Amino acid sequence: MSEENKYWHILEEFEPIKDVRNPKGREEVVSPTSRRNFLKVLGLGTASAALIASCKRPVEKAIPYFIKPEEITPGKAAYYASSYFNQNEFCNVLVKVRDNRPIKLEPNPKSVITPNGTSGRVQASVLDVYNINRYQHPKKNRETIDWETADSEIVSQLRQLANEGKPVILLTPTIISPSTKKLISEFTQTFNAEWHQYDAIPMDGWREANNRVFGTNSLPEYHFEKADCIVSVGCDFLGTWLSPVEFSGQYSKRRDLFNGDGNLTKHYQIEAGMSLTGSNADMRIRAERADYGRILAYIYNQMASQKGVSSNDAPTPPQEITQKLDKVISDLAASEGKSLVVCGDNNPDYQVLVNNINQLLGNVGNTILFERTYNHFQGSEKSLETLLNSNPGAVIIWDVNPVYNHPESDRIKAAIEKAPLSVAISALPDETTELCQYILPSPGYLECWDDAEYKSGVVSVLQPTLHKLFDARQAQESLLAWLGDETSWRDTIKNTWTADYFPLQNEQNDPDRFWVETLKKGELVVDATPVSVSLNSNEIESSIQKINTEKQADGITVELFENINIGTGHGPLNPWLQEVPDPVTRIAWDNYASVAPSVARQMGIQNGDIVQLGNLTIPAFVQPGQAEKTISIAVGYGRKKGIPEELITGVNAYPLAKVKNGFRLFTSSGLNLTKTGGHEEMALVQGHQSMEGRPIVRESTLDKWKENPAAGNELHEEIKHHHTTLYEKHEYKGHKWGMAIDLNKCIGCSACVLACNTENNIPVVGKKETARHHEMHWIRIDRYYNGEEENPEVVRQPVMCQHCDNAPCENVCPVAATNHSSEGLNQMAYNRCIGTRYCNNNCPYKVRRFNWLDYTGADAIPNNRFDPANMTLDLSRMRHNPDVTVRAKGVIEKCSFCVQRIQEKKLTAKNEGRQLEDGELQPACQQACPADAIVFGDLNDPNSKVSKMMKDPRNYHLLEELHTLPSVGYLTKIRNKS
Amino acid sequence: MKRYFDVDGGKFLIRFTIFVFSFFLFHPLIILAETSETVVTGGLSKQDINRGKRFFMGLLPFERNHESCVSCHYINAPDTLNWNPSAMDIALKFAGKDTAAFRQVVMEPSGRVMTASHVNFDISNEDLHTIKVYLDHLAVTGPGMQKPSINRLLLFLLLGVLITWALLDLIFFKKVKYKFIPVLIFIGAFGYQLSMLYEEAVKLGRSQYYQPDQPIKFSHKVHATDNQIDCMYCHHTAPESKTANIPSTELCMNCHIVVREGTHSGRFEIDKLVQAHDEGRSVEWVRIHHLPDHVFFSHAQHVGVGKLDCAQCHGEVEQMHIVRQVNDLSMGWCLECHRETQVDFVDNDYYKTFEALHKELASGKKDSIVAADIGANDCAKCHY
Repeated sequence: MSEENKYWHILEEFEPIKDVRNPKGREEVVSPTSRRNFLKVLGLGTASAALIASCKRPVEKAIPYFIKPEEITPGKAAYYASSYFNQNEFCNVLVKVRDNRPIKLEPNPKSVITPNGTSGRVQASVLDVYNINRYQHPKKNRETIDWETADSEIVSQLRQLANEGKPVILLTPTIISPSTKKLISEFTQTFNAEWHQYDAIPMDGWREANNRVFGTNSLPEYHFEKADCIVSVGCDFLGTWLSPVEFSGQYSKRRDLFNGDGNLTKHYQIEAGMSLTGSNADMRIRAERADYGRILAYIYNQMASQKGVSSNDAPTPPQEITQKLDKVISDLAASEGKSLVVCGDNNPDYQVLVNNINQLLGNVGNTILFERTYNHFQGSEKSLETLLNSNPGAVIIWDVNPVYNHPESDRIKAAIEKAPLSVAISALPDETTELCQYILPSPGYLECWDDAEYKSGVVSVLQPTLHKLFDARQAQESLLAWLGDETSWRDTIKNTWTADYFPLQNEQNDPDRFWVETLKKGELVVDATPVSVSLNSNEIESSIQKINTEKQADGITVELFENINIGTGHGPLNPWLQEVPDPVTRIAWDNYASVAPSVARQMGIQNGDIVQLGNLTIPAFVQPGQAEKTISIAVGYGRKKGIPEELITGVNAYPLAKVKNGFRLFTSSGLNLTKTGGHEEMALVQGHQSMEGRPIVRESTLDKWKENPAAGNELHEEIKHHHTTLYEKHEYKGHKWGMAIDLNKCIGCSACVLACNTENNIPVVGKKETARHHEMHWIRIDRYYNGEEENPEVVRQPVMCQHCDNAPCENVCPVAATNHSSEGLNQMAYNRCIGTRYCNNNCPYKVRRFNWLDYTGADAIPNNRFDPANMTLDLSRMRHNPDVTVRAKGVIEKCSFCVQRIQEKKLTAKNEGRQLEDGELQPACQQACPADAIVFGDLNDPNSKVSKMMKDPRNYHLLEELHTLPSVGYLTKIRNKS
Repeated sequence: MKRYFDVDGGKFLIRFTIFVFSFFLFHPLIILAETSETVVTGGLSKQDINRGKRFFMGLLPFERNHESCVSCHYINAPDTLNWNPSAMDIALKFAGKDTAAFRQVVMEPSGRVMTASHVNFDISNEDLHTIKVYLDHLAVTGPGMQKPSINRLLLFLLLGVLITWALLDLIFFKKVKYKFIPVLIFIGAFGYQLSMLYEEAVKLGRSQYYQPDQPIKFSHKVHATDNQIDCMYCHHTAPESKTANIPSTELCMNCHIVVREGTHSGRFEIDKLVQAHDEGRSVEWVRIHHLPDHVFFSHAQHVGVGKLDCAQCHGEVEQMHIVRQVNDLSMGWCLECHRETQVDFVDNDYYKTFEALHKELASGKKDSIVAADIGANDCAKCHY
């Protein structure tokens, strides 16, 4: 750790306040032992002893297939190419199917869009299929009916409405499927219907701005990997904005000092609340949310005057910001055509400024390309307005939930209730489906046929990997049925592909062959005609004028943002997503109002104190780096309808959004912050895992690194000289597995945590247990702050079992349940563990997890079960990875370096009679990482990438002064402060 | 279904104790249940059933020129192999059919095996009817539990008596002149009891020699030895997958579409397969070899890479009419084999990675590499 960096991890360290996180502590588990309880236990004990004594081995059946499908080998996984799309997330994936059940999603390495990794949400989405809350039958007024009745009733009503000339409205999320679009247009023609697309968090303002400036409302491609200087104004492009998985890969390419040429990007983030992207920035400038417009106007004016373009009068932002902005502007000017300015606001006027700045910098055509434009975010507020005003005869709502996530949900509710016919097509119950007469269940995406054109000219297919679990039907199949078309939906897609895409390629001559090959690859890239751009810089004046007239309201501005895991409101139903802590605040299972430390101190607010903001009551969280007059709240929480009680968490913040000039804006100003006196315990996972004052994350700056590649890591050499040991050295005659993590590339998105959850059957423990620090994740991403609490620098570090050669845990296990393997793994035999937890106590990294309760249902005794999120139901258990033991109560578990994958890949190599190739073997975390920050391999092979990284001067080990000799190495974080 | 399971000794001791407890607890209930059983379901008269049973057992008629039914068609599974369908099998097959159909099969046998055994049959229609009635009753009630053998328990109790006598003599009676006699008896008997307990405790949860009845009397000897079918024809995924694949009904029918009568069992057993095929269902076999959930065993590793012969773990299955678990599949047994089995270190290029071991081989420090040398006995090779 360099001298100037003093790390702290939660705000309490700056100003010690009473620890209120767990007031009652351990007492909760102690129940009074009464005579009655004693007798109960005695009875149960006797009964179970008798049962165990008298039970013979049960007769087990071995039931083979009737006809064994050729492509299925029992005990072996098959992979199918498919795609995931939801709002701002698109990933080409390979679905791992074991014995007919999809159990894991892996990135498709051949994809042109997301070859490196996936997001955490994609990883978790496999659980959505096995959700017990899904609709299981079609319903009419809450009564189960059959499909034929539903179809005939709906069609006759639709026909009648069409004859009467009453509008039929089809409300969908953004549809990027070319086949579905075709089908919808057929449907709209036949039934005289109107089709509207709706996004929970729209980008119509930005599309409008592009229309004004570039003459096209397309969303262009952004190339972060080509930008030397990135300036982001409140834009979380690594977390949630536009195409985060893709951008993470691009961004991390330019943070790579191991493979790269040392030409780091310079990333400025100007923002009010601490976002994931902001916490990764080289320089973060704290600004009020209300100042974004003026900041953009200032940058534009400065750029314009440098270029000799006429500037417009605009109020300047506060002086402490303009001082910092001058440096930003000079850096931008120095990297003309190789920079990017982005803004995450849906205000078209802001985006007009951003477009003009990029234009002035010559970025359009270089880092911003209109060649392959994005097809998602088609929803527009104006479209929704027509729905509300048109007095529709029928509303067909397909997988959108505006009643929950629109600020004027009452109007929407009224419109749906008023319509003579309302039909909801949805997999899961929600606030909107509850209002509809007909509910038509749709299957999960892993049970569907579909196609997707995310970027123009990059077309993907989705194929089912599971027989439909319930009596569900795809929305497209419903439309086909209503149109009286008897072609299956799969054939419809195939026909579209044969007609539209087959002629565009020349690899295959036979349409059937072409279809099969596309299914194998999952993706087809065809030429796309670039969108022509005609520049119009006249708009700038009116935009600046509008920013000039922005009221500077007194009081607090609330900014709403999308949490990287929970998203716009789908996440709460997925317990994995709920349990992964927010990468910045490290709070799971809740949303909260982030308050600046100075404000909190002034008002006496502590973490978890309930505050009032307008109509919203919400717990507060003291967030370093938060702007004083801005409070940030995540949307997506507070779902109440159609969600099991134990998963209802947080507060719905959507009502604070505003519709202004026909665009939905996710800010609200002029609010007052008051304390209500209440308090709520939040599941804050960091604080108990503090690595007090020790050189845990080492960092330096680019300039110093250029002089000395070991800058910031001087300790590593020093400690090496002190290494001495009484223990014998392990001998590794074959493999020696190791992992290197580049802290400069890790963005903290938590995809690795969720991938690990899926791969290793990690249990969900629920909010209460998480708050007591009983979470079970095998990998965690520690976050440390450095510097002033007003605007600290943030560092992150993924920590999993370090597989030490001198492992402190191994020496203390009384039953040798954890010991060292001949390949350098610190192995853990669950069936040998007796739960003393000595290992846990002796682990300096605190990476061992104890099963305090039976979270998985693996115990023989049903009364032991603790299941806060329906994860032990047979349905949820269907997605367990059969290659990993499901752990019972009372045993320790921890990262195994995905030993099941090591075994599998070694076996493949042995069977093929060849050596393992470097990079062939990837643990789940590495595979999912979109930023390519984790590298795994054989340290005995001097040519492997991990060996080379371990020899890099930046490499160090966690707490290496303890001489634990970890197999995990970290490369120092290097900030570009030049 | 009877299982040829070694049920005795220590496990039985515990069970016996529990039985004594529950006997006193439930005795009144048992009496009640027995008295209420006079009512017979399905309108069958008790008299007919009893008569049919007596006939089946060979107690009626007094004079006959043929074997009794039970001499071929057992009611409770015998210890020796019996190819003929059991009473229960027949009962289930004819449960839904009338006496005429039953009569036709018994009196006018069609297959080779059956024709040979059903000779000189002279059974009146009335007798056949009572047999049918008895079988219909059997189809509902089942053959009943078989009494387990208690030899080991008796031995254990006998030893206990000896110990008691020895102790009593040592402390109170002092009748035996030489004290070393009761002392020796005590030590011997108690020691043997302890060893019995230890053996039983070790066996707990293991199922060596498990040999259950299968729904179809499928003989590996007939298939693999007599007809020379390769193991891999049916268990074809063994070299590539974790599991060795139990053949699907369809795969069985590849041959049995033609082969409809067996050497030993006649048509009865193959008919079961054909019926399953016609009904579109799988045969529900009883699983024999079973490892606990926390053990990951891969056939691909052992058969595909290690080139082990199936018999090394499963015994000479090709000589078995009824498959029996030969080895105890305990961890010690696995580890022992890993310590002895040599690895194909030279031909398989994968093992090039183990440079250190290759050097040891070249220098003569080691003359061969066994599985344990390359870490086969690490915990995480099987437990993860």
